[in-house]
Amino acid sequence: MTQFARVTWNAVALLAALAVLAISPSRAEEPVKIGVVLPYSGVYASLGGEITQGLELGFETYGPEVAGRAFELITEDSEVKPNIGLSKVKKLVFQDKVDLLVGPVASNVANALRDFVHQQKVPLIIPNAGNNLLTGERCSRWVIRTSFSNAQITRGMGPWLVEKGYDSVYLIAADYAAGHQMMDAFRETYTASGGSIIGESFPALRGTKDFGPFLAQIKAAEPKAVFAFFAGGQAIQFVKQFDEFGLKDTIKLTGAGWLTSPLYVDAQGPAAAGILGILNYVPGIDNQENQAFQEAYQAKYGRVASEFAVQGYDTARLIVEALSQTGGDTSDKDAVVAAMHDVSFDGPRGPLTIDPATNNIVQDIHIFETSPGDDGMALNVIDTLSAMQDPPNGCTL
Amino acid sequence: MMSRETWRAGTAILLLVAALVSWVRADYFGHELLTQIAILAIFAMSLDLLAGFTGMISLGHAAFYGLGAYATAAFNLMLEWSPWAAMAGAVVVGAVAALIVGSFAVRLSGVFFIMVTLAVGEALHAYLFKSRAFGGDDGLSGIARPDTSSIGISFDDPAVFSLVCVGFACLIYALLELVVRSPFGRLLVAIHLNPSRVRALGCPVSRYKLAAFTLAGAIAALAGSLTAQHNAFISPELLTWTTSGEALIVVIVGGLGSLVGAAAGAGVMVLAMHHLSGVTDYWMFFMGLFFVGVVLFAGNGIYGVIDAVRRRLGGAAH
Repeated sequence: MTQFARVTWNAVALLAALAVLAISPSRAEEPVKIGVVLPYSGVYASLGGEITQGLELGFETYGPEVAGRAFELITEDSEVKPNIGLSKVKKLVFQDKVDLLVGPVASNVANALRDFVHQQKVPLIIPNAGNNLLTGERCSRWVIRTSFSNAQITRGMGPWLVEKGYDSVYLIAADYAAGHQMMDAFRETYTASGGSIIGESFPALRGTKDFGPFLAQIKAAEPKAVFAFFAGGQAIQFVKQFDEFGLKDTIKLTGAGWLTSPLYVDAQGPAAAGILGILNYVPGIDNQENQAFQEAYQAKYGRVASEFAVQGYDTARLIVEALSQTGGDTSDKDAVVAAMHDVSFDGPRGPLTIDPATNNIVQDIHIFETSPGDDGMALNVIDTLSAMQDPPNGCTL
Repeated sequence: MMSRETWRAGTAILLLVAALVSWVRADYFGHELLTQIAILAIFAMSLDLLAGFTGMISLGHAAFYGLGAYATAAFNLMLEWSPWAAMAGAVVVGAVAALIVGSFAVRLSGVFFIMVTLAVGEALHAYLFKSRAFGGDDGLSGIARPDTSSIGISFDDPAVFSLVCVGFACLIYALLELVVRSPFGRLLVAIHLNPSRVRALGCPVSRYKLAAFTLAGAIAALAGSLTAQHNAFISPELLTWTTSGEALIVVIVGGLGSLVGAAAGAGVMVLAMHHLSGVTDYWMFFMGLFFVGVVLFAGNGIYGVIDAVRRRLGGAAH
């Protein structure tokens, strides 16, 4: 055998040995282990980062330990891919043996995780994904949501707009499950209150960058208001193009509050002024908890906390308060979930509880209007719909 | 000098032994990884038949993978077929779809073939992303694994299921090895090397390519079907062109036209992804570097290195 062959054989043997090692078990214990599966790469990477920072600040503020047990966060990148997310959660449960799971951001990933955590009976606390079914038809005792359901966000806007005199609207939303669920909930309460919907458009989620054709249809339909749902890059473009098209003078732009999220409202510039939004959190909410939260967050991370950060922050607080009720015991998962049902506290968003009928959060929903302020666009709360609670929607826990 | 085929089979047996040793030593999660590796290996080997042997670089191979997963879900959840029947049905669906797509795609070559396969994959992805009946972007869940409680084992046990997937991977390897050793397989390689000459010899080139395309589609659908049962969940994500691209990377890292290299590449890919992503958020960057490194320095990937050993040994004997 030549030198080269021997080296290569050694390399092959080493590779095989590595493969064997790589699949071997590992263990450790003591602190409360929390498996965090969020996107740290891909389109939602910034959301995953915000939620993680909110979680860390939350555990710092309300922890750092409960009944002598510290918190250990084990983070995994879901890549916004359902299969990857599921495989990461299996790793967290089987290999790291986490006590609780937090995640994900996107509903398609949440759907992939649901059956697995349901079978394994490991509590999964969702800090963002809003699909109605997760706390509706497909609810599980082991899936708790601290963020929102899509319907919960938009349902309150229907009667409110009619009351303010906007009795005809045009609906426009990105063409995927979240867009349709938000519009369905709005449509139901809006028409029940006597408003009329005079047109609907669902542009493709990916690839729609030019909203011109849709804006032309809106212009022709002459509604008093538009109710929209877009997020991220699409929200930036839609708001800008709505203004450039000259629609802002005659038609009021309203929508689910992600249209002008603090994450990118400054990128939208003056086009973002005078927009009505509805959301579970805006940085300008006037209460002590929120002031303290924003101060701590800005001191630590140097920027305003968004609605995503607050969802992480409240998730951490829910976990801390529930575990302090069980005396730090995480072995009886059923008791942990029961304790979560008993927890209620005033967070930055206002009073929060977990609905024992659906495991969805019960929270205030805020209606706000944007106006240019001294340092960038301000999101001013003009009305608050208190304790919005979802109907069971086919959920039996 | 040992023949190329014998050396390949020997490597395959070595891989199988490594897989079995891992299986014995692995915990729950290890079995999950092994399942992922086995399924990716099946998918990558089917692509290797196209890209490595026949010279058809497809960027839409995930369409058949995803179609297999969706067909399994549809047959199992909507028509309530048994998981075995759904799996068989999925393979048929994959084969038929590949036959249809292939009947026009195989007439093209080079960049045109790449573009057509890419377009077909993206079109199917766009359809499933919007289709309410198949769950749209939310996907479908609850796909069952075969019920084998009558013989006392449960496919829901990750240990059993991973072994089943490794078994499938071995079967597919054996099948493809038979195919590429047959006169049919030799002709595919000939078409790869010099299509004009093969045509001049009076051989219906397109029909041979179509047969390979159909077989690859059917095998990809089998991998998709196993994935659907493994995750009990499907979503349009399975059909994106990046899924095809990842499979192509696995084949290239493993070594084009070697079958067993694709399987080894699948192992490297899954393990590297799992371990790197635990270490750094920028793991994709390092995967990219690794890929560039392999292409630049390892010639024909992992199997290229293994095959070089064979040639050295042969050289030493003279």
